[in-house]
Amino acid sequence: MKRLVLFAVGLLLAATAWAHKPSDSYLTLRAQDGKGDVTARWDIALRDLDYVLQLDRDTNGELTWGEVRQRTEDISRYATAHLQLSTGDKECPWETTAPLQLEHHSDGTYAVLSLVAHCPNLDAGLKAHYSLFFDVDPSHRGLVQWIAPGAVTGETAAQALIFGTESSEQSLALQPTGAWQTLRQYLVDGVWHIWIGYDHILFLLSLLLPAVLVRRGNQWQGVERLPTAVKEVLKVVTAFTLAHSITLTLAALQVISLPSRLVESTIAASVVFAALNNLKGTIESRRWVMAFCFGLIHGFGFASVLADLGLPQNALVLALVGFNLGVEVGQLAIVAVFLPVAFLLRGTGFYRRGVLTFGSALIALIALWWFVQRAFDIQGGPF
Amino acid sequence: MFRLPRLTAALLCLALAASALAAPFTPGNDSEVVERLPGGGSDPAVRRVDSLRKQLASNPGDGKLRLEIARRYFELAMAQGDPRFVGYASATLAPLQPTAENNAGYWLQRGEIEQYSHDFPDALASLDRASKIDPSSPEPMAWRSAIFMVQARYPDAMVECRKLAPLTVPLFGAGCSSYVDAATGQLAAAYQQLNGVLAASPNADPGLKIWALTRLADMAERLQHSNQAEAHFRAALALGLNDQYLLGAYSDFLLEHGRPAEVEKLLASWERSDVLLLRLALAGAALKDSKAAGWADQMRDRFQAAALRGDRLHEQEAARFELDVEHHTKEALALAVRNYGVQKEPRDAEVLLRTALAAGDAKAAQPALDWLRSSNYEDPRLAKLATQLGGKR
Repeated sequence: MKRLVLFAVGLLLAATAWAHKPSDSYLTLRAQDGKGDVTARWDIALRDLDYVLQLDRDTNGELTWGEVRQRTEDISRYATAHLQLSTGDKECPWETTAPLQLEHHSDGTYAVLSLVAHCPNLDAGLKAHYSLFFDVDPSHRGLVQWIAPGAVTGETAAQALIFGTESSEQSLALQPTGAWQTLRQYLVDGVWHIWIGYDHILFLLSLLLPAVLVRRGNQWQGVERLPTAVKEVLKVVTAFTLAHSITLTLAALQVISLPSRLVESTIAASVVFAALNNLKGTIESRRWVMAFCFGLIHGFGFASVLADLGLPQNALVLALVGFNLGVEVGQLAIVAVFLPVAFLLRGTGFYRRGVLTFGSALIALIALWWFVQRAFDIQGGPF
Repeated sequence: MFRLPRLTAALLCLALAASALAAPFTPGNDSEVVERLPGGGSDPAVRRVDSLRKQLASNPGDGKLRLEIARRYFELAMAQGDPRFVGYASATLAPLQPTAENNAGYWLQRGEIEQYSHDFPDALASLDRASKIDPSSPEPMAWRSAIFMVQARYPDAMVECRKLAPLTVPLFGAGCSSYVDAATGQLAAAYQQLNGVLAASPNADPGLKIWALTRLADMAERLQHSNQAEAHFRAALALGLNDQYLLGAYSDFLLEHGRPAEVEKLLASWERSDVLLLRLALAGAALKDSKAAGWADQMRDRFQAAALRGDRLHEQEAARFELDVEHHTKEALALAVRNYGVQKEPRDAEVLLRTALAAGDAKAAQPALDWLRSSNYEDPRLAKLATQLGGKR
């Protein structure tokens, strides 16, 4: 009968209950330069070690530091017997480099092992075979961070690997993820984000639309020479770039953080403001000031995207520079398309009324809707 | 090479970097307690299985004992919601495979473990083997019926219910078939039937009663008899067993009726359970409680830990969390869509409908809308969501 009751709640629980974490160990492997040495820091749950080594000598359900410390030898032997680094077909012997310590993780206390593997050299390629606990708990995973040789500056992205029963042997790439690769990756992300971030594009466009015009009396007129327009565009773009670079950096380094609803609403408001300004003409010659002020808030918007992408902790600066550069490149591409077309059309009534007036009004409307949506947290809608 | 999705890889790097930054420590003296083991050494179920394990170590060829240990570990996993025990069960069972040709117990146990990791096709096959070896055992049929319900394969589920009814107590058989009926357009009749059989089974196992009462509460709510639903929930709680499924369902009921303060009280000591933590976070958010942020943080940590190891077992909860706590509609929808690809219970459909509505993407909800229409599932709340989604197209 008991079994049937188990079924009764069983399936539902199976689908729902996961009050505890499955078993994981955390292993950082770092290649030392010059020699074939690989150092390791390995965090293994005391609970898992107890299951295979019966650390709880008095079986009272509590592990004391004494009970753990006295078994240091056994723990190291058990662990290193279940992790082989090898190069070619030569196994690299392990050596303990520091006494056993402890560390708290979200699901309990872990033993921290400090080890080094002596490999003859790494030229023949490096392989790791991980089998810790697989014989007693096939759902165990080894979460490994591998730092390849050449990572002297610490500015090389570490490689993340997951070892499981189906993936117990993996090779460790000897080429670190190059600095150039990281830079390029984030640069592409930056470009992509500005292109799909309509609010940033519309803000920039609102500021740029009048750049090919000057106001004489109550009338818009086309500027006479291209350099005049270029200079105006340059001022706006530079001010915007400078401002959002500052706040993007500060936010990414977690110096400042603002609630995302505030940031997103203000960004929408900035677009409304910039577009309305084209109709009303309150801020005429100092659009770059506006670009700078609102640029500060757009920077926070970029930062949240960057946070979603995930920043490699050890290549933070590189990722930041790459992303920022990407945003600039994306922006310049927009400008490069916009400026010649706008300059050609500047004299037409179509540009002055159709593009500037109606375009700005339309942008203001769209952005107003974004603002309402973001400020009042409304889902859905036409845009 | 084992490839990770980029975001997971980035997460993993961050988490590992964070763990590498945190400084390990050395306790001051030997008597300091550094870890408490599950069951605290006093849980008789844990002690019993420990001692059986020692027996097995001296006689590893004892297949019966091996099966017994695996079964006990699986029960522990269910009772405590601890996935490590499922791992132990699976490892204990594995050596039996080469000789398991005619071992019904082995295939039953294996099927249960497979369904735990949402490997439904393999689980169904294993349970079917168990049934073929021992046709008089109701358990494989019960599990198969439950899996069919998760897959929304109602006629298949009913076949199993009919097979198992003569082999077990009436309340169990009625629970099985009324669950299917209630999902297929005969809600009122199913409610009457289960209610009647429950009244006629005063001596049934309390765990089974709780299960029946929780089902009745759900049916009553769908029949828009909220007072009766509440009475069923309270009757189930009064039986005094800790049952996460009951607590979760009752919390959802209270949240639905705008009574978050009661949820906080009900679940005060249940933070360790992730499903119930989600309800706490929802209640906290509704009450603008100062503890809400803490609960949401804990929840976020647990999802992140699961993502690190590439686990995808709890996407329904993850979708609800993204939608109702984080307000990330796109992420919520993606999770709900993926979840519905595996699990198709009414709750899964509801989450898909709600996230699709929030994201303004009626097309994404199509599978759930199709299910709602073809199953004749009765629930005014789902019907309303479907209408709203219909209006979007």
